[in-house]
Amino acid sequence: MRKRVEIGLLFSRSGDYALLSGASYAGALAGIQAVNADPARGIEFAAVERDPAGHTERYGPLCGQILRESAARHVIGCTTSWSRKEAIPVLERHGGMLWYAAPYEGFEASERVVYLHACPNQHVLPLLSYVAPRWGADAVLLGSNYVWGWEVNRVARDLVTDAGGRVLAERYLALGDTDVSRLIEEIRATRPSFILNNLIGASSYAFLKAYAALGRADAGFLPVECPVLSCDLMEPELAALDGAGEGHLVVGPFFANGAGGPGSSMEAAAHASVLLLADLIEAAGTDDPDAIAPLLGSRAFATPLGEIRIDGQTHHSSLPALVGRIEGDKFREVWRSEGALAPDPYLSRYDPRAAWSRPALRVVS
Amino acid sequence: MRRRRPIPHLGGARALVLHRLHADASALLRQLGAIGLNADSAWPDLPADAALADFVFLDADRAADAQLPWPPGEAPMPVVALIGAEAPGRVEWALNQRADAHLVKPIGNAGVYSALLIARQRWEERQALHREIAGLKAQLAERRTVVRAMLALSDEGMSEAEAYSELRRQAMDARVTVEDAAARLLEARADKGGARERTRRS
Repeated sequence: MRKRVEIGLLFSRSGDYALLSGASYAGALAGIQAVNADPARGIEFAAVERDPAGHTERYGPLCGQILRESAARHVIGCTTSWSRKEAIPVLERHGGMLWYAAPYEGFEASERVVYLHACPNQHVLPLLSYVAPRWGADAVLLGSNYVWGWEVNRVARDLVTDAGGRVLAERYLALGDTDVSRLIEEIRATRPSFILNNLIGASSYAFLKAYAALGRADAGFLPVECPVLSCDLMEPELAALDGAGEGHLVVGPFFANGAGGPGSSMEAAAHASVLLLADLIEAAGTDDPDAIAPLLGSRAFATPLGEIRIDGQTHHSSLPALVGRIEGDKFREVWRSEGALAPDPYLSRYDPRAAWSRPALRVVS
Repeated sequence: MRRRRPIPHLGGARALVLHRLHADASALLRQLGAIGLNADSAWPDLPADAALADFVFLDADRAADAQLPWPPGEAPMPVVALIGAEAPGRVEWALNQRADAHLVKPIGNAGVYSALLIARQRWEERQALHREIAGLKAQLAERRTVVRAMLALSDEGMSEAEAYSELRRQAMDARVTVEDAAARLLEARADKGGARERTRRS
């Protein structure tokens, strides 16, 4: 008989970023279904679900509930960095392990977390490396007013400077704020080479719609002239944009192919988390996180993200970086890294001279 | 306004952890490795090339001055104290080492990165202050030279204003600072004095 293993799912089913957390939730469920449907597996998973409904302060207590009130030692969950930082002390207290499958700003390496999505050397660095030589390196940096936007823009500021460009403006909106008129005016006045958009949810959708309107009024702001770059936009969000994202650029470890399979990289990464966890529980013969952690770096794992490896030292994943252009309801790949990029969460191996060996060329039209 | 610091480059930096084999040491080595440093622990003796490390972590609970190859408080790199027992004597020891930052035991994943950045900035600020103070001391010493040169000129009957104008003129002619001009003037007088002595003796 197969051994039944409880695992926690900690995703918001409503709230500001429900489209993203919903994608992760769907991926985790699909992963559980795949494990349970696989006759070759020695275990089956039972989900213990908690829904923080988009409230950051609920993640810690609900994570604690899962670890105290069920047999689950592993939690697949969290979307924003704030929610992850709420969960980490609880995981430390109860000896749990979080499988975190969202792109994030880096500069963290907790032993109680496995990081399954991109960190800065796998998202903002390849994206800017693709864009700067083609459009130029003068940037306007936008973000929602919390740690993701602050830190990714902080990294971007250095990358832009190293690429020979200037940061023409750096602006933040409160989470959920949709008043983007000042941002648009500033972009119109400063005429950057590109805009790095780290706004999330409703703010991001409002900005992209207003920017599309600006492009209709002034062809200098069409995507071919001045693209908007996003490190965390996912396919399920495109419907909320009413076509305003068309032609703009994204980066991720995986794009949906539209023919079944995961609908976004976050869905694929959450799915991958469950498969990795199943593989490791079988290999360790227990779901004890302290027995599983030493095995993280021991092998490659076949996942919907492709074959991936985990770096045992940082608990981060080697992932490919794909740059895509938004076309309809899909991301069309325009560039792909040579193989998977080893994770560098602290950008300790970032070398400005190697990253920007060719001077940035401005496209003359 | 202070210039914003770029992405901190810690990759490949070398860290030494003066701590016996213990969960605190291994947690710290793990996190330093995750951040990208080359980290080793040592106990009770630091390796011969310890002075070349970029960071040193000292076990404030047990370490003693004799284990360090530099005088107390004069580590040639940023120092982070690892504090478990908060006994006043042990905290005082860490202070005497001029710890630039500290971590409280038990050591976990959190805090190590900020300790590195805080320690490095404090240490760099302290080095800059030392350099500035040395420069100011040198200038101060030269002020005495200027005063002596002006006294020498007043002995020859110049007023204070004339003496200073004369020094400035000599400095401008020779394209050196007033302090240097004063030193040259005193040297020249000393030589002349010496020559007179020799003449008298011969």
